Amino acid sequence: MAEKRALILSPKDNVASVMEEVSSGDDVVTQGGNETLLLQAIDKIPFGFKVAIADIRQGDPVIKYGEIIGRASHNIQKGALVHIHNIEGARGRGDLQKNK
Amino acid sequence: MEFRGFPRPDGSVGIRNYVLVIPEGLVASKICEFVPGTKTVMSAKAGAGFTSRDRETIARTLFGLGLNPNVSSVIVQGGSPKAGYPELRTERIAQEIAKYGKRVEIVDAVKEGGTLEAIQKGIKIARELVFEASRVRREPFGLGKLSLGVKCGHSDPTSGMVGNPVVGYLFDRVVDAGGVAMFGETTEIIGAEHILAKRAVNRQVGEEILSRVSCIEKRALSTGEDIRTMNPVPDNIAAGISTIEEKSLGAIYKAGHQPIEGVLDFAERPKKSGLYFVDSWMGIPSIFPGFAASGAQLNLFQHGGGAGAPNNHILNPSPAVVSPMLWTSANPITFAQTKGSLDFYSGTVIEGKETLERAGERLVKLVLEIASGTLTRGETINYTEPIEIYTIDPIF
Repeated sequence: MAEKRALILSPKDNVASVMEEVSSGDDVVTQGGNETLLLQAIDKIPFGFKVAIADIRQGDPVIKYGEIIGRASHNIQKGALVHIHNIEGARGRGDLQKNK
Repeated sequence: MEFRGFPRPDGSVGIRNYVLVIPEGLVASKICEFVPGTKTVMSAKAGAGFTSRDRETIARTLFGLGLNPNVSSVIVQGGSPKAGYPELRTERIAQEIAKYGKRVEIVDAVKEGGTLEAIQKGIKIARELVFEASRVRREPFGLGKLSLGVKCGHSDPTSGMVGNPVVGYLFDRVVDAGGVAMFGETTEIIGAEHILAKRAVNRQVGEEILSRVSCIEKRALSTGEDIRTMNPVPDNIAAGISTIEEKSLGAIYKAGHQPIEGVLDFAERPKKSGLYFVDSWMGIPSIFPGFAASGAQLNLFQHGGGAGAPNNHILNPSPAVVSPMLWTSANPITFAQTKGSLDFYSGTVIEGKETLERAGERLVKLVLEIASGTLTRGETINYTEPIEIYTIDPIF
């Protein structure tokens, strides 16, 4: 089975964007960033969605474009799909204000 | 790097050649039905009960569209000149346009003795104005005579990766040549404002960017809702964008790399050339007429579309009324679904067939062709959309 491609947009990032649809168990090879990484997907990852290229602990920043795009709401394993089920935004959170 | 455009008395250059009839109403709409080459602005916001600053925004939008270089002359239709809010009076709107040397005619139903009489008078004048406009010839001008506006929308991961950076390349070229480039969508720089503030020409402009974002974020907080339930919109999330920060960090690539010259209010005209951030709402019917009122002859929509659409999907043809709309996308699926409606495809970069710079150069070339008269796909459809003027205060 051919390796699937994913793009790291900045060397600081801990996620990459997959350039084609990835199935769970697929090998994913990254472009961009400081080095080429080879990892195994543990989720189905649709075209353009993010895959974790390192383990990310709950509460840690998720970094894309070299900038913080949110924080992990759960522990995220390398190779996992990174999306709204496991990351949260920190900005414009009126819902959190209300509970203060 | 030239295009052929219509010279205007104030030194600006039109890429189209319309007669504009404002404000919208029965008189304006009947004139436009009768006379080809005319346009009117469909906006339900007439000003009643609005605060003075919002009334000024409505006025600025109307006369700004009249001042757009794509407009050769303007008919302002109205009732009694002594009634109404001072900002929105017929005479005032006409004067704001006439002071730049553009021909303005007033059609006053009170003076004409009724609505039907005003329609008759308006049609006569409009026929004369479109005839006069048709006698102006296109002449060669440089890229620096262009003013462009851009919004990204239905954003998906291809937007931040390729689609927006390719538009950013065009923006850099236009600003380099001495033109104007505008981007906006204040909510959609939340999380990326620190990067833009660093690109400001001076500290004051940097602080202005931060202050506009802080104002919008405070308003979001006051709703008691997670902004993610409003923006990113469901389409963005379905296509893989997870947070407003991620959306913003991808969105700012459309603004290229030039220093940010200033922050503009909605429909405000820039005083000199350069790259501007426009404090605005993302909505298509709002931001594009706003850019046009700020002087943009051409608008770009950088389309993601990853959440999917039916095949043969037609994209908004003319939200900016007097300025054509150029649709770009980097998403191969969107490209397939919107064949015949999309003007430019940069997904070649994702497919590894072309560099970002090559795609950027293709876009510059296309912009010059459209500026010279080639139609955008949207211009092949006879439909003018209603506009939504970006007002801020409550209505009373």
